[in-house]
Parts: sequence; C-alpha cells; structure tokens
Amino acid sequence: MAFNLIRKLMLSSVFCFTATAVSAETFVFTAIPDEDETKLVERFRGVADYLSEQLDVDVRYVPVKSYAAAISAFRNNQVQLAWFGGLSGVQARRLVSGSEAIAQGVEDEAFQTYFIANTNTKIEPADKLSDLKSQLKGKTFTFGSKGSTSGRLMPEFYVRDTFDAKPEDVFSRVGFSGNHTRTLRLVEAGTYDVGALNFKVWDKELGDGNVDTDAVQIIWKTPTYPDYQWTIRGDVNKRFGDGFKQRVTEALLNLNDPELLESFPRSGFIPASNDDYEPIRKTAEEIGILD
Amino acid sequence: MTSFDLSGLTASFSGKRVIGPLSLRINTGDKVALVGKSGAGKSTLIRLIHERVNRDSSLIPQDLGLVNALSVFHNVFMGQLDKHPTWYNTVTLARPFSKDRNEVHTLLNTLGMTEKLWTPTASLSGGQRQRVAIARALYRNAAVLLADEPVSALDGPMANSVMTHLRDGFSTSIIALHDVELALRYCTRIVGIQGGQVALDQPSENLTTSDIMSLY
Amino acid sequence: MFSSPTVRTSFIFLAIALVGLLFADIAITASNPWQDLGNFFLGIITPNFFSSEGLMTALLRTVAFAFVGVALGSIAGFLLALVYRSLPVRIFCAFIRAIHELFWALIFLQFFGFHPLTGVLAIAIPYAGIFAKVYSEILEEVDPEPGRVLPPGTGNITAFLYARIPDCWVKIRTYTAYRLECGLRSSAILGFVGLPTLGFYLEASFSQGLYSDAGAMLILFYVLIATMPLWVKPKLLPVYVLGAPFFLGEGLPIVWGNVQRFFTEDIVPAPLRNGEGLAGLTPWLNDLMINQAVPGIWNTIVLTQIALVASGILSLLAFPLISNHFGGPLRRNAGHVVLVIARSTPEYILAYILLQLWGPSMLPAVVALALHNGGIIGHLIGRQTNSLNLRADAPTGFDRYSWELVPRVYRSFLAFLFYRWEIIMRETAILGILGIYTLGFYVDSAIQNIRFDRAMVLILITALLNIGVDTIGRYIRRKLALQTMPTC
Repeated sequence: MAFNLIRKLMLSSVFCFTATAVSAETFVFTAIPDEDETKLVERFRGVADYLSEQLDVDVRYVPVKSYAAAISAFRNNQVQLAWFGGLSGVQARRLVSGSEAIAQGVEDEAFQTYFIANTNTKIEPADKLSDLKSQLKGKTFTFGSKGSTSGRLMPEFYVRDTFDAKPEDVFSRVGFSGNHTRTLRLVEAGTYDVGALNFKVWDKELGDGNVDTDAVQIIWKTPTYPDYQWTIRGDVNKRFGDGFKQRVTEALLNLNDPELLESFPRSGFIPASNDDYEPIRKTAEEIGILD
Repeated sequence: MTSFDLSGLTASFSGKRVIGPLSLRINTGDKVALVGKSGAGKSTLIRLIHERVNRDSSLIPQDLGLVNALSVFHNVFMGQLDKHPTWYNTVTLARPFSKDRNEVHTLLNTLGMTEKLWTPTASLSGGQRQRVAIARALYRNAAVLLADEPVSALDGPMANSVMTHLRDGFSTSIIALHDVELALRYCTRIVGIQGGQVALDQPSENLTTSDIMSLY
Repeated sequence: MFSSPTVRTSFIFLAIALVGLLFADIAITASNPWQDLGNFFLGIITPNFFSSEGLMTALLRTVAFAFVGVALGSIAGFLLALVYRSLPVRIFCAFIRAIHELFWALIFLQFFGFHPLTGVLAIAIPYAGIFAKVYSEILEEVDPEPGRVLPPGTGNITAFLYARIPDCWVKIRTYTAYRLECGLRSSAILGFVGLPTLGFYLEASFSQGLYSDAGAMLILFYVLIATMPLWVKPKLLPVYVLGAPFFLGEGLPIVWGNVQRFFTEDIVPAPLRNGEGLAGLTPWLNDLMINQAVPGIWNTIVLTQIALVASGILSLLAFPLISNHFGGPLRRNAGHVVLVIARSTPEYILAYILLQLWGPSMLPAVVALALHNGGIIGHLIGRQTNSLNLRADAPTGFDRYSWELVPRVYRSFLAFLFYRWEIIMRETAILGILGIYTLGFYVDSAIQNIRFDRAMVLILITALLNIGVDTIGRYIRRKLALQTMPTC
C-alpha cells in the first residue's frame, strides 16, 4: 500500500521532467501587458500569423502578466523578440548584450503621456503642469504598471520635476493600476482622482466611444519622448539562420495590414536604434529606477 | 543459550526504588513463573531482564506491542524481521511469500486463529490480540521467552492450550503470571516478588497454592 | 474573568489591533463601490461558462499543478521528516515554508521562466517544509511499543516500515489529502503571476470587468473543491499523480545558463556586482532598509494584527451558522455553503476582488483575510460544538451561545487562531503584490525594476518575520497550553 503509492509518485516525478519537451525552432515573442488581455491576445496572434507567413518559421506569441515577466522572458532567451515600452526596452537591452531596437511605431518617435482627472475634482486643463500644482496636491493618483514608460516613468519624472518631491509626498494616495486601460477605468469611476496614461490608448478608447467624457478629461499633456519599439535578441541569426534579424526587421517595417496596425494602434512601423532611447535611460537613472 | 546470571537489577520511578537490588540466576531449561500481587514489580522485572538478554529472547509485553494497522499475518511475521534482508521484508509488506504465509498459517492454526489472518489487529478482540502477540513470540522462536501476563485475556481451556504451546515452544522461559494454578501447572520454578525483592524461589513441585498465596 | 490568561491574552491582542487601526490606512476609495459589488454579484448569478476557450484547460492545469506540486512536496517532506530531529534541517524547513508560494513562483520565473517546473516547484518547496514538520509530528506520536518488541538486529528500514509507518499511515494520508485541497488553492493563484492556471484567466476577466466570466470561473473552482471527496479516491490517486505531469502544459523551454546567472549575478547585491566592495554595501543596504524594508515591515505587522483579530471576531460570529445548537437544517446547510465559499476562496483572490471593487487601502485586505480565516476557524469550531452534549435544560438563544458554547470552545478557538497567525502574516506580505504597501509590494516593485538582489533581501526579511511570528505564536500556545491540529 504505502510503498505502492510511493513508487508511483517517484515515477511520476520523473515524467514531470520529460513530458515537457518543446520544439526548439519556434520563434517566440512577447509584449508588455500594457492593455486589456483580450485585446493583446487578438492583436499579437495577428502579428504571429503575419510573421509566420513572412519568415517561414513557426511563430508563437506568449502573453505575460507583468512588464518584468516580459523582460525576463526576453533575457532568458525564452522569447527572441518583444514589443517593449521605452523603459522596458532599455532595461531589456541592458541585460542582453547584442540585442537591438529594430522598429518603432511612427507615433513612438514623439510619444506622450496624458494626465487625466475625474471631473468631480473640478481640475481644469492647463498647458503647464506647474499651473496645476495647488489643485493636484493631496489628490489620489494612479500610475499604470510599475515598469511602464508612459504610465509611470515619464509622469513620475514630471511630477518630481514640478513639485520637487516624490509622488507619495505630493498625492494623498499613489497606486499602480496595472495597465493603461485600467487607469482610464479607475479615474473614470472615481476610484482615483487623477491618473497618467499612454496617449494612444486614450485616443483609441475615445475613438471607439469607450470614454465617458462627462466623467473624465485630460488635464495635461507631457512633452514628447520616444516610446514603444520592437527589440530582438542579438543571437537570432545563429539560431534561425543568417540574415534572420534583417528579415524580421523588414517584415515589421513592411507590415501594412490596416486592421493589424489599427489594433496597436499605430499608422506604421519605422526603423529604430538603441540610441533613440538614450533620453529614456537618463530619465530612468535620474529618478532611481535604473541603477 | 546457556544459563545466565542476573545480578544488581534495580529500577526506580520518580526517585523511588521499585525493584532490587535483586539477583537471579536462570538455568537453561528453567520455566520460571514470576508471581506476586499487582504492583510488586513483575512487569518492571520482565522489562529489566529483557534489557539484559534482549538478543536472545521472545518478548510478550503486557500491552502486546502490536501494530494496529497491520494484519495478523504481518504482526506475527514481525517476529522474524531480523532473519530476512530489507528488500524481502519490504516485499512481504505488500505481498507475502507463500512459504511465510504457510508457516504463519500453521502456527496460528495451533492457536485457533486462522480465519483472521488478514484482519488488521485493531479490529480484534482482546483475547485474539493476545494470541497474535503469542504467535509472534512463538514465530520468533528465540531460546528464552519473556512474557508478561500472556494469557490474562483468555478463557480457561484456551489459556491452558496456549500455556502448553509456550512450555513446549521455549526451552527457557520467564513468565509473569497472576494465576497461581497455571503457574504451578506449567512452570518448573516459582519466583515470588514482594516489594521489589525476591520473596520466594522454589521448584514448583515443592509448592502448593496456599504456599504462594501468602505473597498476596 | 480577566484573571484567566486566555481572556487576558485575547484582550491584549484586541488592544494591539485597535491601536493598529489608528495607523492603518482603512478606506473605501472607490466612488461607487456598492454598484460594483452589485455588478459582481450579478456576474456570479449570471455566470458565463463559455467565455474563454482556455477555461477548461485552465481548470485542468490548476488540478495538474496541484497534484504534481503536492506529490513532490510530500515525498520531499517525508524524507525531511525522517531527519527532522537535526537542527539545521528544522531551520531549513522553517525557512522554506516561511516563503509564500507566489514568492517562490516569482523567484523561479526569473530563471526557469514559463516552464511548468516553475509552478511545480513553487508549490512543492514550501509544501515540503510544511509536510516535513507535520509528518515528523505524526511520526513522533506513533506508539513506541511495537518498535521495542522487534527482534534485535532488525534493519532500520524494516523496523520503520513495520513498526512506525502502518501505525500513522491513516493520519499521513488524511493530512496529505487535506493538503491537496490547499494545493488547489495555491495552484489557482499562481495564475496571477502568469502560470497557466485559473488565476491567469480570473485576473484577466476581473480587470476587464467581465464579471460573468469571472463568476463562472469562481463557481467552477468551488465545485471542484466541494466535490473533492467524490473524485479524489485512494484508488484513483496513483492514476492522477501519474497522469498529472502530462497536463502541465508545455510552457517554454528552460535555458540552464539562466539558472547559473541568477545565482552568480542577479542576486548579488548591486554594489558587490559593480565592484564597489563592502564600502558600497552599507549605503545600498541603508537605502533598502529605510525606504522599503522598514515601511514594508511596519505595514505588514499592522495589517496582520488587525486581520488576526478580525478573523477571530468573524469566526466567533460565524460558527453558530453551522452549529446544530441553533436553528434548523435548512439554515445550517445555508451556513455550510457560506463557510465553504469563504474558506475555499484563497485570500489572494478575495483581496483582489475587493480591491477592484472598493479601491486600494488596507480595508479589502483585512476583509479578505478575515473572511477566509474566519471561514476556516468558524467551520472547525462549529463542527466542534456539534459534538457537545448540553444538559436538557440548558439555556437557548444568545445565552446558550455565550454561556454554554463559547466558554467550552474558546481554548480551541484561540489555538486555531494563534496557529493561523503566521499564515495570516505570510498572506499579508503577499497581498502587497496587489498594491497594498506590505512587504510584497516592495518585493514586487524590486522585481518589476529587475532588481533581484533587492527582491531577495526583502523576501529574506519576510521569511524571518514569519519565522519570528511563528515562534511567538508557538510560545503563546504552549504558555496557554493550547493544542491544535494543523490547518492551511
């Protein structure tokens, strides 16, 4: 009896390690979970199909639950390509030598963060954040994800710059909603007075009629900065054949399926380089997110 | 196993001496009955002797020492665990070999217990449990038997039958018994214990029931 | 009454919790929390079982991870239990069980990534520590007499197999089966960090306000747990355990170089890694302590103490729900359903739901912890009152509750509560991942910023805090002579 069971348990533990072999030649990519999951899965399954067709290899998209998980998967070579934000891309490329930013959205050259407020707060839109100083103080505030560029890094930078204080000292409560869509929903519902989010998400939700403009409005727009990009590992040519990196880059730059582009939402992809993201790295170092 | 000397036996409970110092010489072939009223120290003496002669004795403690979750067969088989390698014992736990099954079956037959061979001892009656412990001691087949009230839960005929098996199965035995009749009938030597000391030590043919009753 | 040490201890803890409330951040920050709560319950009663293609797969994976994790944990725990007498082993076990499954998962994610091994080990490792402790306690209680009668010269293994195991086999089996239920809960919440179990889809549905989808998942999970006696049969167990590894999913292949990198680079404190030497370590550690560890510890302790007392109050209020000293069978059955739901929903999921509905503060966490732990203790105490026979003319109603029942069960109530103290703290720390400023918040932040060196120090601090509370809890239980059986 006892031994029977123990013997079987032992055997099963051996199976556990052998049952999970995976074809090594699948090209796997991921993306930071900056929006609602269903949208991401829909969008990136489309990208996977497109890339698979263009590159003639199996391409698989893996959804992750956090920005850090996307970076780790990239760093651990479990994914070879990723759609990163500005900050996550910088973090990832620092950790994987030889990795490169190969393409960015047309809009990502000059990206923006919108500060939005629940209309009950009676905060009026302004051109300069410093004009809102007295009104913002003591309000509740939510960022997006802890690792987000447009949802955390840039808004935190401008809050610190304007108030000369940490966000926790400016606002009565500081939260991390998790992603941009949720920031919008939480501010709209009044769970938080003020929030900061990716302007593309705002524009798209607004265009789709998903924003109650009586409940929430933009109060300030940040200056522009570089953001999202496709980053690829340096060792893909070794694994998938010479010129593979070039082929991926071209495939992305040639992506012109309007429906797929709309889901990002970007009007197209243009070349990018690691140096484009120097400003992001400096900002991150300044506020102490990067060592 | 030859005769052995037990000298300087002592035992204390919470600072109070309950046995000894006491010396006893046991000769090969002795069938010793330890008699005395309860609390005289018979059980303690059995335990002390067991500590001394451990290797060569079959023990039937008062609380039997059965593994309740195991079957009658396994409890009996435990008497010979030292005679087999570990793998053999382990396999036996799951599936006993027919040779052992037959041996144990035959042995239990003599004790009138065959139909219960695969019952866990937890669900047996007091008398049945006692016979399992006795069977284990017989199966162990050591030179010396150390038993503490081995037939206390058995009725008259069964007690006599079991005592016969114990007498025939061991060349030397030391049995604590409160039943004086059984002691005189199945043992060759009576040792009376009183206040932790040997108060009486005589061949049984020299004694009658009334001689022993003075100890009670 | 105050001369009784149990009552005095209770009031001391009550006072600590009240003081804690002064410092705690308790608020409902959502502007229309009741409407959201209403939507949520509407979702529960209008479940959508066909929302996601992955739902059934997720359920299967949840079961598979639980089986493999608990099986490995119990084997390892059993082996550790054999050498549990050794102090280093005891310390080792206390340490691995002081770290929550989710923290283990977050650690393994960094180098095994989304391989099934991450989820399996995240369950198996802390469970091994718990199994080792409980198994060794069970083995200690075995009747020593059969061991003494064994023929001298019997091998150690043989002696163990014959004279020890059979005697405690039933207890070991019962506890392991109970632990399997806990394993299902652990497995479900692993989805929240990205493993392919129920939590993965639950999080996605909730965050998008798809309450009917979320409701369906929760209902399936309750059914899964409530029907365990029907489908977890001793005879089928080997089949499950053998089969489970094949249902863990493929995940992504492990790259072994990452493991070495994690241990030789990632978790080495940044100043040492960058060659600043020990001189750089002090400011690094100072910064970590002052800005993260100390606030994290403070919030964790405050929340734990409030949640502990809230759990206690709730279990005292809840046990009459299932006690047959009150009301009829209909109300008792309803009570059972309420308590089953309360105790089968992992605190983490409860807290997640309440945070979505009420907005961020310590309140959702307190309520979640109180509901879950109050449900467990209320169930155990209520069951205990059912074995009490009161005199025929005993008072009824509230007098029966306060004069006849509570005094009789109070000691075991306290025993359970103090046993769960450490468990509550472990959960409190982990709830930080959801955005409450306990230690888990800072661990998660460090991981989000790819600073595993900081994360490891903070996890270490969390573990030490748990071990500390466990020690105090055991001291109090010994001092008050309270005995209990393990719960999870």
